[in-house]
Amino acid sequence: MTSAKTGRIILEIVMIILSLLFLYPLILAIINSFKSFSEVMSDVIAMPQQFNLDNYAYVWKYINYPRLFINNTIITVIGLVGIILFSSVAAYKLSRTNSKWSNTIYLLCIVPMLIPFQSIMLTVLQLAKSLHLSDSTWGLGILYWGFGAPLAIFIYHGFVKGIPREIDESATIDGASGFKLFFLVIFPLLQSVTTTIIIIDVMWIWNDFLLPLLMVNGSPATKTLTLAAYTFVGQYTSDWQYAMTAMVMAVLPSIIVFVLLQKYIVRGVVAGAVKG
Amino acid sequence: MKMGRKWSDRLQFGIFTLPVLICIAVAFYIPFVMTVRYSLTKWNGIAKHPKFVGLDNFERIFTGDANFSSAAWFTIKYMVLYIVLVNVLAIVLALILDMKLRSTTWLRAAFFVPYILSLVIVGFIWKFIFMQGFESLGATTGWGIFAMSWLGEPGLAFISILGVSIWQSVGFYMVIYIAGLQAVPEDLKEAATVDGAGAFRKFFSITLPLLAPSITISVFMALTNSIKVFDVILSLTGGGPGGTTYSVAYDIYRDTFQNNLYGYGTAKALVLFIAVLVITFIQLGIFKRREVEA
Repeated sequence: MTSAKTGRIILEIVMIILSLLFLYPLILAIINSFKSFSEVMSDVIAMPQQFNLDNYAYVWKYINYPRLFINNTIITVIGLVGIILFSSVAAYKLSRTNSKWSNTIYLLCIVPMLIPFQSIMLTVLQLAKSLHLSDSTWGLGILYWGFGAPLAIFIYHGFVKGIPREIDESATIDGASGFKLFFLVIFPLLQSVTTTIIIIDVMWIWNDFLLPLLMVNGSPATKTLTLAAYTFVGQYTSDWQYAMTAMVMAVLPSIIVFVLLQKYIVRGVVAGAVKG
Repeated sequence: MKMGRKWSDRLQFGIFTLPVLICIAVAFYIPFVMTVRYSLTKWNGIAKHPKFVGLDNFERIFTGDANFSSAAWFTIKYMVLYIVLVNVLAIVLALILDMKLRSTTWLRAAFFVPYILSLVIVGFIWKFIFMQGFESLGATTGWGIFAMSWLGEPGLAFISILGVSIWQSVGFYMVIYIAGLQAVPEDLKEAATVDGAGAFRKFFSITLPLLAPSITISVFMALTNSIKVFDVILSLTGGGPGGTTYSVAYDIYRDTFQNNLYGYGTAKALVLFIAVLVITFIQLGIFKRREVEA
């Protein structure tokens, strides 16, 4: 028994060391974001001589960080609200209606999950241009409604099936119908799946790269955090201290949110994968 | 009265489903039809009208395009290795974390963190590690692996891309397997121990079969993600050295947006779509049959 116990302790120590090694690249990125150019060049793994925020002040101004943060937020919020709203009502109706029509439409809604974005990226861009959705954070957010809908409908559709129809019926007797029935009675019952969808979609839209690159990379006023970091590295190919500062600033919001909501995020990601 | 009711039901059905159908059509169906049309043409995006060339693009893709065949080969190698390695590593990690160590919460968070980061940024951070960090680490430790050219030599660059992708996403698969393990009834594991089954025996005859649903999900996700690999290559190697690390998705991007071969690029894009479709159906078929048997 005691040997099993020491075995566990050794395993525990080994795992903690492994996890620190695993995170070492991120730790190095953070350490080097506080260094000067010559410090980075002379030794990457040494600690900075002093923790000064000069790099941060420089990059903050150069890439206009507040603007990027607002852009990311606008795109994510608009995308999310549309996905949740349109997908939940449609999935509810499709799940409650038993007809050939309804089944066909449901299939049409979820089949696009099989289309890789790279297969249609050129024509998506052209269509977005002719609809005046390109070069605008709002337009990009709106485009996500369609891209996010198939998975959201799939998840909602399965969940609504588990809600007894009696609930709809008794609400109808009480005089609620249509949107009122859905938003007052059904939508609150969908809370757990809505949380799952929010988590998956925020992670996806906030970090997305290719679609924003095609849609909003033209002007500094519409760029996202990831795009700005991407362009920034292109301009400062050898100034690693600035590049790492930009990287840390780009990922910091995600890391803070993760630390705060870790439990929910992991649960949501698992639920999304298992249902999706 | 009855007719009126029926029509109002239909109207409501339309109001509930039409908005999302329009969104999906704009995001997928209309672009898809346009893609099919362009794939039959030759067009540089500047000329006013695409020139119809029939199936010429497809013929060229499969007969005379060294870029495409090397990108396809790269993607297949990457997919196979990624799917196997990321799943094996994730299962090992999940098994250890399922042992309820005192640091489980920390470990789970630590291995999961890279997954919440943008792949492009992950690529840049690792580029910095490979180019600058390894130099310092080599100077400090004197180990040969840090002196190798991890981004400058084709074979090593492939391994770097694979390794960084696995590093970024292993935590995601790990949490799926942890959830799967928690669904394995505790008394089943205990019963096996009482029967005198060793750890390996227990794993292969009890845990692994019961993990089958998680494996199905994870392999499926790993496959659909790896066939589209793009972001991490763009920031880590930019397709180099010498154009050896282009994936199919990146090759499509290069032809469409860098070489302005709109017709030819969309034809390749369609080939990718068909490949995804075929692989998905084969895989669903295999796993459906396997799960019924188990």
